[in-house]
Amino acid sequence: MSTSALNGRPNVIGGLLGWLWLTIVLLPIYFIVVTSLRPREDFYHERPLSLPSRPTLDAYATVIGNDFGRYIGNSLIVTVSTVAVTLLVALGAAFVVVRNRSRWSARVFRLFLLGIAIPIQATIIPVYYLIVQLGLYDTLWALVLPSIAFAIPLSVLILSNFLRDIPSELFESMTVDGAGELRILWSLVIPMTKPALVTVGVYNALSVWNGFLFPLVLTQSAETRVLPLSLWSYQGEFTMNVPAVLAAVVLSALPIFAAYIVGRRQLVSGLTAGFGK
Amino acid sequence: MTATEALIAPGGRALPSRRERHGPSLWFAAPALLLFLAFALIPLGGVVVLSFMEWDGLGTPSWTGLDNWGRVFADPVVMNAFWLTALLTVGSWLVQAPLSLLLGVFMAGRQRYRAVLSVLFFLPQLFSAAAIAIVFKSLLDPNFGIGQDLSFLDLDWLGRPDLALGVVLVVIAWSFIPFHSLLYQAGVRQIPPSLYEAATIDGAGRIAQFVHITLPQLKYTIITSSTLMIVGSLTYFDLVFVLTGGGPGYATRILPLDMYLRGFRSYDMGGASVVAVILVVVGLGIALSLNRLSGTGRMESQMEGA
Amino acid sequence: MRSTTVVRSLALLSAGALALGLTACGGGNRPGGAASDGASAWALTGGSEEVFKASFDAWNTDNPDEKIDVEWFANDAYKEKIRTAVGSGNAPTLVFSWAGGTLADYAANDSVVDITEQTAELRDRILPSVVANGEIDGKTFAIPNNQSQPVLFYYNAKILKDAGLDVPTTYDELLADVAVLKDKGVTPIALAGQSKWPELMYIQYLTDRIGGPEAFQRVLDGEKDAWSDPAIIEALTKIQELTDAGAFGDSFGSVVADGGADTALVHTGKAAFILQGAWVYPDFVNNAADFVKAGDLGFAAFPAVDGGAGDPANIVGNPANFWSVSASASKDGQKVAIDFLVDQTFSDDAVDAFLKIGTVPPLKGLEDKIAASDEPEYLSFVYDMVKDAPHFQLSWDQALPSDQAQPLLDNLSRIFLGEITPEQFAEAMNATL
Repeated sequence: MSTSALNGRPNVIGGLLGWLWLTIVLLPIYFIVVTSLRPREDFYHERPLSLPSRPTLDAYATVIGNDFGRYIGNSLIVTVSTVAVTLLVALGAAFVVVRNRSRWSARVFRLFLLGIAIPIQATIIPVYYLIVQLGLYDTLWALVLPSIAFAIPLSVLILSNFLRDIPSELFESMTVDGAGELRILWSLVIPMTKPALVTVGVYNALSVWNGFLFPLVLTQSAETRVLPLSLWSYQGEFTMNVPAVLAAVVLSALPIFAAYIVGRRQLVSGLTAGFGK
Repeated sequence: MTATEALIAPGGRALPSRRERHGPSLWFAAPALLLFLAFALIPLGGVVVLSFMEWDGLGTPSWTGLDNWGRVFADPVVMNAFWLTALLTVGSWLVQAPLSLLLGVFMAGRQRYRAVLSVLFFLPQLFSAAAIAIVFKSLLDPNFGIGQDLSFLDLDWLGRPDLALGVVLVVIAWSFIPFHSLLYQAGVRQIPPSLYEAATIDGAGRIAQFVHITLPQLKYTIITSSTLMIVGSLTYFDLVFVLTGGGPGYATRILPLDMYLRGFRSYDMGGASVVAVILVVVGLGIALSLNRLSGTGRMESQMEGA
Repeated sequence: MRSTTVVRSLALLSAGALALGLTACGGGNRPGGAASDGASAWALTGGSEEVFKASFDAWNTDNPDEKIDVEWFANDAYKEKIRTAVGSGNAPTLVFSWAGGTLADYAANDSVVDITEQTAELRDRILPSVVANGEIDGKTFAIPNNQSQPVLFYYNAKILKDAGLDVPTTYDELLADVAVLKDKGVTPIALAGQSKWPELMYIQYLTDRIGGPEAFQRVLDGEKDAWSDPAIIEALTKIQELTDAGAFGDSFGSVVADGGADTALVHTGKAAFILQGAWVYPDFVNNAADFVKAGDLGFAAFPAVDGGAGDPANIVGNPANFWSVSASASKDGQKVAIDFLVDQTFSDDAVDAFLKIGTVPPLKGLEDKIAASDEPEYLSFVYDMVKDAPHFQLSWDQALPSDQAQPLLDNLSRIFLGEITPEQFAEAMNATL
């Protein structure tokens, strides 16, 4: 349910500031699009904010021809695997935390809570060491496993929050009917937590899709390169071909843009991941 | 654990009473625990252990006791990193919090054009941190960037040590304000209109309504958003790394960057681990104390007491 | 009932994870990136890239069963990844390096293979001073693989002519030229400040000219307070003299070397001079062919310093780049790599190709080939420089171990930015010894 905080009378200053912010937001984006359509040589003598005099899709062709499809593929694999597994295991854990009244489940929960505050960046060196010892360096596994681990705490938290809202009576009636815990999970919990699953799924997907540090440290070859990392290496390779670098940026944003168009509400709710409650 | 009362169902099977039922077996949580333990908790312990060892990435780590700790704390670069991180964190909050709040209030408005604007405001969220950093690097290039068109912006933004940190702050704000304003927008939407109607009847002006109704009602959102902002700023790596790499000189070498550079450029993994431990302690400390201060984190259902 | 539930739930979860994991596996799990019977190599883009490409293609055509997979990296990105690759046992079979401190570390950790025997014949053809860089304790761990790369003063001849300037032969002349060029609105010297390592050339040459190679040798030997050597302090002072005079322009802090942004300033007429290694010559040829053909690209040695103790014929730079063979590769892979080294590195075709792109391989007896080449003047200038130099100092960031190299780059960049004084530099660097 939504209400307006300021209703009726026009708010001139507010409106003005709103338009100012809009300019600030749109200017870089305009720059990106416009530059990506410029031919490579023109970049150095046309004014940056002007419309390209000879617009071309050359930059995009260069990027796509440079293995871009593979990078998107890798990002997809890593994201889907991470999210799917995270949802599965986090739901299981949340189920335990909410419905299992023993001391252990409470301890487990506190452990996960603490986990939310652990900065990923700080553990990168031992994770690197661990991955190398496991022989997983420079594989997509190396990205998936740590990502799952760090996605678990928050996912468990949000799912637990949601699960708590399911009335106890529903659980009890199923138990009285003789259903086992797995059955309860399958037929009661999953359907009722769908919105939360979507929220958590989207949130995790976004952060894994845009993840940079893990790929930077744990992968090296072009085969396992994911999207954000590919942008960084394009920047090094194509320092003199700025339109190509920015074309890569545009292409990298397109999947999320598509997701935004298709499921804006879910995306926004996933992004804010129940923080607003 | 209270006493159990066994009920016997037809067929002789003992039905668990309400009190006795333990719910799902702990095994359901096992995979999550395992993964979390293996790839998050153990590395956390690993960081502490590594901070007492010497390793250059090539050979095997060897024990050196408190050497690394002494070295790191005596290193002016690290002290500088502390200072920069603090500056960036506080500065980010000062810039992002008010702007996000105002924007959130703005976007919560009923006017149709505001919905359109909200969609546009969301655009920065489409780009990854690496993408945003690359774009701004280009945009702010002193030779070929926006300075060519708008002469008041024609400065060596990322090449001058006195400007670089400010630029980093602004770029981070550009990429995160949309997110926080969404939080505030959701928060504002939950304020009952009756409060405003009553205030208007009482003759309260717009600003008074803002100060006495909107702000207090947003307390929870302010705390959540601010916690995220602060903890996020402490550990933010991606954007700064791609934008400046810690430079020019040491001007933007915040703690997470110092850790990475120390570990993967200077190959002083032990020293880098010391910085990492510091990061964890500070991050945990701030998160926990903010949590305690605000009284959030209690796990009751939202429905209870409704 | 409960145990079956447990088993079932676990099975479900693991099956799910496994299925997804298998799809993830498709992303590649190839240690070292080597094909089973072949080998792999990592090399740099730019510079001698074309010659390498041709060599690898030639090898792959002749040996289809023992192909070498090459992956190309930009300079800075390469330096970022190679050490972790070697350290994690995932190194390519052929490891590209600058020798120096990094090679010493590799050898100390048995990460690279001793190739003294197999390369004996090849080494005879190479200039001794260059070959020596690949040796540690008398054993060869690395072989030169491309051109010799002294650092030269390149310049835009047209700009100098228009400004009525001669090529400076002393430091004081250079300072005077800087003032004249500034007045004309030209950036006197292009500098890729953001990459940091191009700034090394200045401290290297100035220190050498003022105090001879002994000054830096003390640092290499780890002598206490070696960085406070008067020659180094004076070199830094002169650098700040140059920056104060505006020699590098206003925005050198944002210029990046990868991709040739600094050389672009020279051939587009924005800057007059650039102090860079001979590896940039191909960049000029590729990106500004007309400029080079018209004879507008000039080259000279770094000026002498009046009253300096160093020999003005000394040079700094990279004697060459090197190939090493990774110890973590399979025995077959190592053999392929070594055979490639011996066959292709300085084959006749390769030598011709190097000369054609304007670079000089560090081989003995090249005078005739150079005389017959497209650029005899430039190539013989470089060749003689390398052949006759009393001392060829390896770039400091490669000569030093990594925990000293990084602070060197950082502190040097602060000198150029005017953030610290030479004494503060010395203090900070002495702490790393």
